[in-house]
Amino acid sequence: MTTVIETRELVRKFGSGETQVTALNEVSITIRKGEFTAITGPSGSGKTTLLQLIGGLDEPDAGDVFLSGSNIAKMSGSELSDFRRDHIGFIFQSYNLIPVLSAEENIEYIMLLQGISAKIRQSRVREMLALVGLEGMGDRRPANLSGGQQQRVAVARAMASKPDIILADEPTANLDSKTGIALLDVMRQLNQQMDMTFVFSTHDHKIMDRADRLVHLEDGVIHLDESRSV
Amino acid sequence: MLIFKLAFRNILRQRRRSLLTALSMAGGYMLFVFSMSLLEGSWTNVVDIFTLDHTGHVQIHKDDYAKRPKIYKTITDRDSVESVLTGNEGVKGWAPRVYSTALAYGGDKTSIAQIFGIDVTLEPSVTRIKQKVTEGIYFDNQPDADGYAKAMIGRGLANILKLNIGDEIVLISSGADGSIANDVFVISAIVGNTTSFDRLGVFLPITVAQRFLSIDADVHEYALLARDKHANERLARSLQLALPQLKVSPWQEIEATFYRTMQSDKQSNYFTMGLIVFIVFVGVLNTVLMSVLERTKEFGVLRSIGCRPSELVKLIFIETVMLAFASILAGLVLILPVIMWFTNVGLKLDIAFDMGGVVFDTMKGDFSAYVIFMPMGFMLLTAALISLPPGLRAARILPREAMGSH
Repeated sequence: MTTVIETRELVRKFGSGETQVTALNEVSITIRKGEFTAITGPSGSGKTTLLQLIGGLDEPDAGDVFLSGSNIAKMSGSELSDFRRDHIGFIFQSYNLIPVLSAEENIEYIMLLQGISAKIRQSRVREMLALVGLEGMGDRRPANLSGGQQQRVAVARAMASKPDIILADEPTANLDSKTGIALLDVMRQLNQQMDMTFVFSTHDHKIMDRADRLVHLEDGVIHLDESRSV
Repeated sequence: MLIFKLAFRNILRQRRRSLLTALSMAGGYMLFVFSMSLLEGSWTNVVDIFTLDHTGHVQIHKDDYAKRPKIYKTITDRDSVESVLTGNEGVKGWAPRVYSTALAYGGDKTSIAQIFGIDVTLEPSVTRIKQKVTEGIYFDNQPDADGYAKAMIGRGLANILKLNIGDEIVLISSGADGSIANDVFVISAIVGNTTSFDRLGVFLPITVAQRFLSIDADVHEYALLARDKHANERLARSLQLALPQLKVSPWQEIEATFYRTMQSDKQSNYFTMGLIVFIVFVGVLNTVLMSVLERTKEFGVLRSIGCRPSELVKLIFIETVMLAFASILAGLVLILPVIMWFTNVGLKLDIAFDMGGVVFDTMKGDFSAYVIFMPMGFMLLTAALISLPPGLRAARILPREAMGSH
């Protein structure tokens, strides 16, 4: 299988002097296309930091991150923005939709940044809303959607730019169990039908149960990396 | 389109705050336009008064006659000058003039006097000479029953020499050929008042003045009115090209001291208005900065999904300029009737004052594209500039820090 992400001896420290904390300590990991990977570990283990470094939201103190063959640790601010826009989809714990835009517009906005024509944008928005089961709700603003629906819009937004990988940081943490399962089923379905690569940072067992690869972090070091059949 | 929609909705997020900001900008714009209108209106009024009183919008002379007048510095080739003036569409009216000084006798009194030889028919197409007649009637080229040429004299001279309509006045001067010029004229009218520039003037029909001064059919000056008074300098340039042998000067050169005074007054007023706008926009800057700070997390999200820093600068720019534009439009709707009223009706002054024989009793405004669009452009430019610091602040936001991970 094609390698989508490869990290080499990633190091990330926060603070300085006696208060310095090593969030990641020489973490090397390879994610292949189509994997549904869960990065697990207790709070402070470095899961979110790893996800942010993979997504180019943070810069490592040492090491490299290769995403689709490009070393994103060496990119400038604007290059990194363009790279995130075209290659990475993000799903956040607290949805992080733009409150003044409707569901459709939230999904459309990233495509606008990509310079996609209005006609294609509209058609892809409809397609994405159908994929996440929100047909007919496109004109609603985030405040008029439930948490689960908002997270589905976030999934649709992440998918809309046709990224190489979707990084999801605790996507079910703010959802009730039933809604969380439904959302995970949507993502799993997208993973299987479209061969979309998902990487989660989580301590939700529902995600772990559905992941075909588990990477367990503790104190910034990988303690376990196992592939499984689900 | 979506970015404009996003900007517009961001403005509507904090409606009360946006409204207050818009009100301050609309108020600033209204104040700016109103002050500009009164300033331009007042100066236009003053310029009209003296250009229509005597100067005209453009003057034509031989060499440096305007600065160093000499009786023999005359324009001799009148036909070519008048054919250029008649053929130029920018010229609304023109009139030839002759000047000299003289010693005037009336009864048993004497006084220095300024001779103005004017074309009886053409002069009223350039100046308000007819309206300045306060006693008697505007003269014509015909001598009176006794064969004396007619003259109109200034109020000052009339008072000094104690002369009235129908009295005789004797002028003594020197002709261009060195001869002694002296003649008797009968007074047909008294013009202006004791503060007019021509208070010591003696107006003669131009042919009479030419004969008196022995300058044949020559003239010292052509004064003309431009069809578009604001384009008089351009008209002067085009006439200068057509009449290279003469000196063509706009009123701004003829009345250079006044023009500099006017410009300096305008500049100091612009500075004051600029200061008012600056104070208004310091408040706007504060509002925009606050709105950026409130949306730090949102900007972090936008950056994380691939929004370039420049896109955020653009978004803040559009928001600020959009709000400024809406405020200016609202201000324009409110201020338009006011400046139209000031332009068409004006505010009657409690105490009228006289400028060169023309009564200035109403404070008038100016209604022009300049008065409306210059403040608009200035305010939009200021809005665009003040959007930059908050925009750059938003652009510097780091996604990880903005979303409060650590």
